[in-house]
Amino acid sequence: MAISPEIPPKAEPEIDTSHVDEFVEQLSCVTSSLPSRINIDAQSVEQGLAKLVLTLIEFIRRLLEKQAVRRMEGGDLSPEQIEELGLALMRLETKLQELKEQFGLADEDLNLDLGPVGRLI
Amino acid sequence: MKLYVYCVAEKIDPPAEPASGISGARADVLDLEGFSLLVSEFAGDTIPVTRDNVMAHAAVVRSILNETTPLPLRFGTVSDEQRLRSYLASHRQALEAQLAHVRGCVEMGVKIIWNTDQPDVDSSSDGPGARFLKEKQLRTGRAREVGAWLHEQLRPLLKDEQVSLAPTEKLIIAAAHLVDRDAIGKYRDQLAEARKLRQELHFLVSGPWPPYSFSNIDLEFKTRFGVS
Amino acid sequence: MSFDIEQLDQADLSLLETLDHVLNRGLVIAGEITISVADIDLVFLGLNVLLSSVETAHEVLRKRE
Repeated sequence: MAISPEIPPKAEPEIDTSHVDEFVEQLSCVTSSLPSRINIDAQSVEQGLAKLVLTLIEFIRRLLEKQAVRRMEGGDLSPEQIEELGLALMRLETKLQELKEQFGLADEDLNLDLGPVGRLI
Repeated sequence: MKLYVYCVAEKIDPPAEPASGISGARADVLDLEGFSLLVSEFAGDTIPVTRDNVMAHAAVVRSILNETTPLPLRFGTVSDEQRLRSYLASHRQALEAQLAHVRGCVEMGVKIIWNTDQPDVDSSSDGPGARFLKEKQLRTGRAREVGAWLHEQLRPLLKDEQVSLAPTEKLIIAAAHLVDRDAIGKYRDQLAEARKLRQELHFLVSGPWPPYSFSNIDLEFKTRFGVS
Repeated sequence: MSFDIEQLDQADLSLLETLDHVLNRGLVIAGEITISVADIDLVFLGLNVLLSSVETAHEVLRKRE
């Protein structure tokens, strides 16, 4: 079954932007934590469990972040509290990023569909 | 025998010229359990993430785009015929549903950066913690607004979408759009018009891609345990 | 890392986009097998219930504010 000829199959995807440098910089962030070798055996067990645990932590981290911003907007936090909360969340975000890199997981990996709760992130 | 796997597709005829894949190995069609897979024989233990291998993986997946829309596999999948049979048999329904979902479509990508001339949050008197929270607030707000706007601009042309809000410090949106092949021209035109309306945003549009962002079938839990 | 990030140009925007697709997305079949092992199915169920509670608690707290 041949499909619409509008897409030349062998051609590489086009990339259209007027701001190459900016996007190169941002995309390098996205790919900078990737492994230089992929070890086939290491994938299964460790990664399956790591994915579960990190997804849960990431979910909670995002809830906490949202809650913190909401409280800050609500005006019921002192400047000291805001500062402390921000620092703690900053550290949590960095730590989680380190853990993800350690297990070679990308953000998309922490998107497990868990039934009624739906897409978490 | 180990096999490097590139993608899973509906049954197809083998292409006249087999594509060249990982480490230059030939990519062949392997028919299993009613599906066609593109695979290469694989001998090593590790797969180096080099430009050549990455581009080869992408090229192999692309090579059958004229015949069908495959579900691309993530780079680095090595298995064997027995395990593949078992996987395909136990995930048959989800795979067939996903293949039907992407049939006749391709993936387009849109990434958006805020024009860096925009002033950022005024945080001269704040410590790093407070600045962190205020920046989060600003970024999430912007991302939601731009995300909603982008969606509105393209809504009738999107069969499906995967959107990341504020994935990095400067990236506001990283979106993957599943678009009917016949609608790609309209999609590009519509996006070109939309870009003119938002001069404060910088766009990157890429594609067409095979549907990498619409291939994962992590719905097993839902269907297996009947949780709805 | 196999890539020298200092020296990127237009051609490598294409590489970065390709990397973003083939390394971050795409069907994953390896991890699945682990998750369908019996013990971990139970953990999944437990996780599901736990997360439902967290989400509900969050909703309740929000309404009180």
